[in-house]
Amino acid sequence: MSACCTPSKPVQPGASNPSCPPVPACCAGAGGTPSSARHADVAWFDDMVSRTCAFAAAEKEKGRRLVGILCEYTPREIILAAGAWPVCLCGGSAETIPAAERDIPANLCPLIKSTYGYSIEKANPFLEMADLLVAETTCDGKKKMYELLARRHPMVVLELPQKADDPDAREHWIRELRKLRSELERRFGVEIGDGDLRQAIRLMNRERRLKRNLAELMKQDAPPMTGRELLNMKSLISCIPDDLDVYERAAASLSGRQAVADADQRVRVLLTGVPVPHGAERILDLLEAEGGLVVCQENCTGLKPLLEDVDENAADPLEAIADKYFRLPCSVMTPNSRRQEALRALARDWRADCVVELIWQTCLTYDIESVAIRRLAEEELDVPYLKIETDYSPSDSARIALRVQALYETVRARKSS
Amino acid sequence: MIGAGIDAGSRTIKVVLVRADTLAVVGSGVTNQGIRQSKRAMELLDNVAQQAGVSRADIGHIVATGYGRDQLDAAQTKVTEITCHARGVWQTMPGTRTVVDIGGQDSKLLRLDERGAVRDFVMNDRCAAGTGRFLEVVASRMDTSLDEFGTLAGEAREPSAISSMCVVFAETEIIGLLAAGAQEADIAAGVQRSIAARAAAMAGCTVTEPIVFTGGVALIPGMRTALEQAFGRSVAVAPEPQKSGALGAALLAATRLG
Repeated sequence: MSACCTPSKPVQPGASNPSCPPVPACCAGAGGTPSSARHADVAWFDDMVSRTCAFAAAEKEKGRRLVGILCEYTPREIILAAGAWPVCLCGGSAETIPAAERDIPANLCPLIKSTYGYSIEKANPFLEMADLLVAETTCDGKKKMYELLARRHPMVVLELPQKADDPDAREHWIRELRKLRSELERRFGVEIGDGDLRQAIRLMNRERRLKRNLAELMKQDAPPMTGRELLNMKSLISCIPDDLDVYERAAASLSGRQAVADADQRVRVLLTGVPVPHGAERILDLLEAEGGLVVCQENCTGLKPLLEDVDENAADPLEAIADKYFRLPCSVMTPNSRRQEALRALARDWRADCVVELIWQTCLTYDIESVAIRRLAEEELDVPYLKIETDYSPSDSARIALRVQALYETVRARKSS
Repeated sequence: MIGAGIDAGSRTIKVVLVRADTLAVVGSGVTNQGIRQSKRAMELLDNVAQQAGVSRADIGHIVATGYGRDQLDAAQTKVTEITCHARGVWQTMPGTRTVVDIGGQDSKLLRLDERGAVRDFVMNDRCAAGTGRFLEVVASRMDTSLDEFGTLAGEAREPSAISSMCVVFAETEIIGLLAAGAQEADIAAGVQRSIAARAAAMAGCTVTEPIVFTGGVALIPGMRTALEQAFGRSVAVAPEPQKSGALGAALLAATRLG
């Protein structure tokens, strides 16, 4: 769920532009705790939601279609090749959860509940504008929630096989993506040629490369951004030309900037686990407010979807797309050894002092996999590990802050001994 | 010079004073937590200092820890309970590898490395299940003091199974058990077992001995045995287990005085 975000509060319809209501002030601020002056290329994303909303409305006016996605396994390339814009609909707001809980269990992942609550309240303008949703069988909670979502929204479901290294599973995934291609052609009355796919692959590869370049700036001793600023540099809709220009410019303009004055005192955090959708950045902010710097994010809103590109020269572009996406190291896969491989490399290259794993309440696959991640951190990487299991409500912030402080004390004590 | 440690916990405040040169404890005290936490903590500090024959001017550094540490403006340094308990236990029981601390509203498990540094820790989540507060609620429901409650547990023949993890639900469950004619001693032992089982679950499968038990709950008769049964290992109670955190804070204060 990279670039995965929805307005952090329900957006009420009925404003000046009926197709794109204004975003509440709370969505406009970048948040976080950057201590240096606002940087223009960072600030560009402050009003990302409202700007992206206006973009979507204008594109719809021109006849372009909008396709909602809810997971990083859904290949944006195929949607772009169909002449449509992929928009991420993952919910990050606590405020839509009560509405969702009328239908679905309270004891469920907040991301699933928030996403569904937006539909109940008709509060996500992107969801309301979407011509089609492309869902996927990843975790059980999402899969069954999609059935309810499909009552209001046209939907195609991709069946994601989960044996990451099984050749039959790969074949099945390729067939699923071929069906998606035909389904988009049928529903939108378009033809998706291999040339269209190749063009979309190049475009998405460019976006991934640009975002990777920004993330790599965080390897520095004194990174030019806070982790929160980096997280904010994203868009709900991928490959908007203006955004790509800013990503490109920022990599150069940010060099030499110091995000925090006390970078050498900060604990360098490698954050892993569940995605951090727009509006649900509380833990990331807390990690940085308590004296850390989140230098690397190995999750779907961070580097996980950016680690690999699609092969631009493959004989069959659709198979190349399938291969890239099937290799995403999400905890729904079994075994999910690629995630550990990725964490080894990230911890080394970003010089992490500790690993913090964020688990959204009842996210079974990440929660169970955390046993392996803890072992990896403590025994192999030899850095302290902290698991934080929470939801979107701030009620446990003080208790989590205590654990984070203790983690940082442990890191500092180890460094000084 | 004297280093002072104040552990402002959720139920009680603890103070320990140590000499910076010898690290010897010169005074200590405990008082109940009140609404004006900072004032109570300072009063306790003054009392302990007076009894030890130490003037406030002799106290060169104060380290505050515990739930209320951020309210204690007089403390120059704030350190988490995790680091303080590790330090306190290492002083009184060097070589400890696992610390189980059960306090008023939280329980935690620390793993120490061979030099006494915190290697890893786990804490209870969000609610007071498996903590001293849980015991207090149940003891009060059964009209006993915490001490009597512990003694009562020692007389159990067949400890009741307490399945609720939530304090409120557990209380309801206990009312049901009492109504069904369960013996009070069996219920008391069942509650102790349930708390010990939660601590053991927190530890997971890897617990290294020696295991040391700290926190106010370690003072309650029967709790150490319940923990030993849950872990299947021997468990030692730290000397003055309630003050381990404050002792650690005082030692860290002393270190800062050089």
